[in-house]
Amino acid sequence: MSEKGGRMFSLPTKTTPKSSLKSTAAKSKRGRKVQFGTEGSPDVNFSSPKSDGKFATPFGKGGKGEKAANGGKTHVAKESLSLELRVEQELPENIKCLMDCEAATILEGIQDQMVILSSDPTIKLPESFGSGLQYAKTGSYFTNPQSVRKVLQSLTKYGVSNSEICVIANTCPETVDEVFALVRSLEAKRSKITGPLKDVLDELAKLKTST
Amino acid sequence: MFFHIVLERNMQLHPRHFGRNLRENLVSKLMKDVEGTCSGRHGFVVAITGIENVGKGLIRDGTGFVTFPVKYQCVVFRPFKGEILEAAVTMVNKMGFFAETGPVQIFVSNHLIPDDMEFQSGDMPNYTTSDGSVKIQKDSEVRLKIIGTRVDATEIFCIGTIKDDFLGVINDPTTA
Repeated sequence: MSEKGGRMFSLPTKTTPKSSLKSTAAKSKRGRKVQFGTEGSPDVNFSSPKSDGKFATPFGKGGKGEKAANGGKTHVAKESLSLELRVEQELPENIKCLMDCEAATILEGIQDQMVILSSDPTIKLPESFGSGLQYAKTGSYFTNPQSVRKVLQSLTKYGVSNSEICVIANTCPETVDEVFALVRSLEAKRSKITGPLKDVLDELAKLKTST
Repeated sequence: MFFHIVLERNMQLHPRHFGRNLRENLVSKLMKDVEGTCSGRHGFVVAITGIENVGKGLIRDGTGFVTFPVKYQCVVFRPFKGEILEAAVTMVNKMGFFAETGPVQIFVSNHLIPDDMEFQSGDMPNYTTSDGSVKIQKDSEVRLKIIGTRVDATEIFCIGTIKDDFLGVINDPTTA
């Protein structure tokens, strides 16, 4: 399946190339229900787990540039609505989302152990480990993951999911507006969580390491 | 985004590894086989953090190999549509720019770069705003949103956008 996914840049529908630009948006809804699922039902998005491997993009109609230029702006507006984080729906339940600072702590621990194990020349860390660790360390603003987690846990009682909490921790936003702009799935709960979110952001600002 | 996940795999072991160090051999073979690999469902397996359970071995008919079902915990990195990431720019051209986060490559097309940024070719190709205040070039750090992912046999490739609020350059290497 991954090999198939590797070649598949093109989208399922082949009928659109000849269609007129006027009805692009409407046709795109019909031809690509899988992507634009949030327009109506969120169900459409998870009914096809295989589509995770496929390339989903607003412009990828076989790479027709002129369509992108004309239909592009409306597509971007519609797509930004559908680009909500759907981690919990797409992955099984036993998966725990990690903040970058938590991942950095774990990976650093493993790297320290590798120093001890390095007497065995056949065991070596893969390249993705190095790049993953570097990303986790440079991307994380906090040195104490437990206190960050504690501060953000208070948002769970307002229905904020673990993945949304991780995105907030990773991006370390400064204002409430920034949070709602970056994590669009929280928009629905805006009135409920604006107050608590402001307190959480103030706490996070105190925990943030000064660079 | 990083995840901590429990995965299961059937490991085949040659009889020469049997003996006192069977478990160690199994674990090191697992690490060699799995760490650094990539799958569509889970993303990159960055590191194995522990072994949860090693099941009973089954001898395969016709060969002496034994298959052990192993449950292990690992840290994986998988980008998601809609996720916000910070990436380092690796290459800029007139079609857009390439950036890297961890083991993942991301491409941002010029259609998804704000309209007021123009491509400037030269020794150091870059995208610059009309007033020259913001520049995207190699080694710049940008915050982007993932809008699509593709999985190859060995790597994950994403498409991103910076054409949204609060996205764009974080750190300009020339002014650092």
